[in-house]
Amino acid sequence: MDSSPASLDFAVIGHQDSWHNIAAFVNCIRGAELEPLVVEKVKDIFSFIPPRDLFKVNVRSATGAEINGVYIETFIDPDKLLPQFTRTNIGKIIQAASLAKKMGANIVALGGFTSIMLEGNIDELSTNVTKFTTGNTLTAAYIVKSIEKAANNFGIDLQESSVLIIGATGDIGTACINYLAHKVNKLLLCARNHHRLQNVAANLVKQDIRVEYSTCVQDLAPKADVVICAASSSGIELVNCKQNVLICDAGYPKNLEEKIEDREGVFLFHGGMGQVTHGFNFNPDYSESIYRYAAPHIIHGCILEAMILAFEKKYENYSAGKGNITAHSMEDIYNLSVKHGINIAPFYNAGGLCQKTSVLKTLPQ
Amino acid sequence: MQAIKDATYTIEEFNVISDVFSQAITGELIGMSNFASLAETINDPHEKMEAVEHANSERMHAEGFLAYAKKAGLNININMQGAYWGNVRTQFLSYARKKDFIACLIIQEVILESFAVSMYTDVGDSLGGEAGHLFHSIAEEEKEHLDHSSDLLRAELKKDPVAFINKFEEIHFNCMTILAEFTATNDLRGHCGVCHGDCMKGSLHHIGLDTITLRGNALALYAQAMDNIGIPGEKSIVWIARLPA
Repeated sequence: MDSSPASLDFAVIGHQDSWHNIAAFVNCIRGAELEPLVVEKVKDIFSFIPPRDLFKVNVRSATGAEINGVYIETFIDPDKLLPQFTRTNIGKIIQAASLAKKMGANIVALGGFTSIMLEGNIDELSTNVTKFTTGNTLTAAYIVKSIEKAANNFGIDLQESSVLIIGATGDIGTACINYLAHKVNKLLLCARNHHRLQNVAANLVKQDIRVEYSTCVQDLAPKADVVICAASSSGIELVNCKQNVLICDAGYPKNLEEKIEDREGVFLFHGGMGQVTHGFNFNPDYSESIYRYAAPHIIHGCILEAMILAFEKKYENYSAGKGNITAHSMEDIYNLSVKHGINIAPFYNAGGLCQKTSVLKTLPQ
Repeated sequence: MQAIKDATYTIEEFNVISDVFSQAITGELIGMSNFASLAETINDPHEKMEAVEHANSERMHAEGFLAYAKKAGLNININMQGAYWGNVRTQFLSYARKKDFIACLIIQEVILESFAVSMYTDVGDSLGGEAGHLFHSIAEEEKEHLDHSSDLLRAELKKDPVAFINKFEEIHFNCMTILAEFTATNDLRGHCGVCHGDCMKGSLHHIGLDTITLRGNALALYAQAMDNIGIPGEKSIVWIARLPA
């Protein structure tokens, strides 16, 4: 039967973050002979659909190995990626996880918000056959490695820089702190929960790390040379940023460029993404409407982590819980990523690929 | 029997509840007729008797709805030849004439029962009281039909997956298209011939319902039914996306 891969090395549980993309996908699968549905009609149906496998994925490694997996869409309403809808959304994620297990996936990536909503509590999802990972270790590794690369390109000395981390108490934000703590001049930490923020900062102070924190991003943004946004960009506004600030938008959805008051001199790129040098295929091929980026074969780090673990046959809950990601584990998964020809994605933003010297003026104003 | 809470219906509620019951009764009579026709397609005497029992079960459901409607004084209109119900019946009969038992099962026990179970549950939740209880209890019985058919169809899928999926796809577009048009925000084939006056969809808010949720929940249950049978998700999502909206 052609309904499932010959062997299912991995599965990806994902969600969409814009109605525009969803409408494009729905109209793609409707086919050219049918009248396209307007977004409002798509909204009437989309979020009612139970989680299901949409397409198979074949990924090729630099080593010559190939793995086969499947993408499972949760059909979570992108307007409902908010705490008040957590119960409904978790129900969909658990259904999607059950499907991944039923399909016999060896390792499953909980992409984007699907791991955030479970707050990393994935151990109970696992079985002897199927393991789960949030993929946050590789996402965080791609973020910090791309910051290092961009800083190098722009002649920014990180050791002299103040780095603002938005979403500092989250799993990815904490991982970035762990990696950068001893590599930058000062950490500026922002998160919504003051108490947690205070605890994170106190631990850093004990290690003689210079740190400043606030629940208000406007307090910290004007002091930052580098900004990592590892949180949902809803509610975030970046005003009075320094000239030549370097910004990595690694949140969901990646639309921070819309939240920046003065774009002159800003270099912003979408972070946490990787590029598969030897490529991948979708079957059916929905690449014209889903996973469309400024360059070919770009995927989220969280998804790539599961693929790399599958290449390595390292079937374990690699990224689980919250706050467990170490600089060491980030280096480990990053090195495995490079081994398989999966590198940090080229710099891009909503305006397309960034030139080495370009700033945010590449974006549509 | 306890007093009908529904005696306090407003005129708007009365009108829409009358239409809801009219649709339910018409649907049950279509189901009854379909099971009776299905019995014709079956050679095995035990399965033939079971189909007749199912037809009787649908008749009992129709009787139940009619009894309540009479007690509540609802204004009932039954029309099995309307633009949607009539076409569903025609589709069913086209397969019954070919003695295609599996196709009949898919139409009656998967497509129609998915919609019945989901919509009766939503209506039951909304109406509450005796009417709500009636819809819930019938939804439970219809769910048994749905579950029963899943076992049979799973076995059929295993025998010849490609042929089965092709058959299911054909039936989906022949039959589910009619239901999709029927349950779209605006009737895509005109008046159903069952509702009094204008389509009841614009009045569902009087009883705390809306077309989008009713249709969405019904499609969700249909999608789950296809999953339970073993139709690959990558197929069923395309079939659903290609329905009229």
